[in-house]
Amino acid sequence: MYNNMSYKTFKWVRIFMAMFIAATVSIAVTIENVYLALAAVIIGMISMLLIKKNVKEVLVDEMVNSIAGKSALMAYSIAVPVLAVLSLVFMFSNLKERGSDMYNLGIILSYIALGQMFIYSFFYYYYQRKYGRDGE
Amino acid sequence: MENKIRMLRAEKGMTQEELAEKAGVTRQTIIAIEKGKYVPSLELAFKICKVFDKKIEEVFNY
Repeated sequence: MYNNMSYKTFKWVRIFMAMFIAATVSIAVTIENVYLALAAVIIGMISMLLIKKNVKEVLVDEMVNSIAGKSALMAYSIAVPVLAVLSLVFMFSNLKERGSDMYNLGIILSYIALGQMFIYSFFYYYYQRKYGRDGE
Repeated sequence: MENKIRMLRAEKGMTQEELAEKAGVTRQTIIAIEKGKYVPSLELAFKICKVFDKKIEEVFNY
């Protein structure tokens, strides 16, 4: 296998893969074939993982991880309150019509917000344990 | 935190890309450290010092 790919080549391969996935998903939507769309996404993800391993240059380092961590925290801090407020608005504005689409949308959004909070709490606890911030 | 990476690199005639490769990071990280915009971890600081064969206090000042 090609084991010495430069970052420049990798960038072109990444663009090509994105185009391939976009084109295949578009075709899948047009012909209403969900399996084709799923296959394209899965093949694309696996191919990108394999290709990343063959890039000779460093793609991810501590600064990239630091930036990703800060971005993730910022995204979480914005997304959860927005989802929570939206869910409350949808639910309370449709209290008389329980079971309506808007009321159900509010419930779905509140569960998504709760899910995000659960995932965040789980990984926060996990990394806290990993780095020994458990009182010892 | 200040550092003398740019000066030491110039002394050795080393490019940012070469230093990044030797330290195992991206060139963007070296640029950010040189500009003082990013403070490296202790591990990376030691790696950079090893490349220049210097003690940590000779490269980084706090």
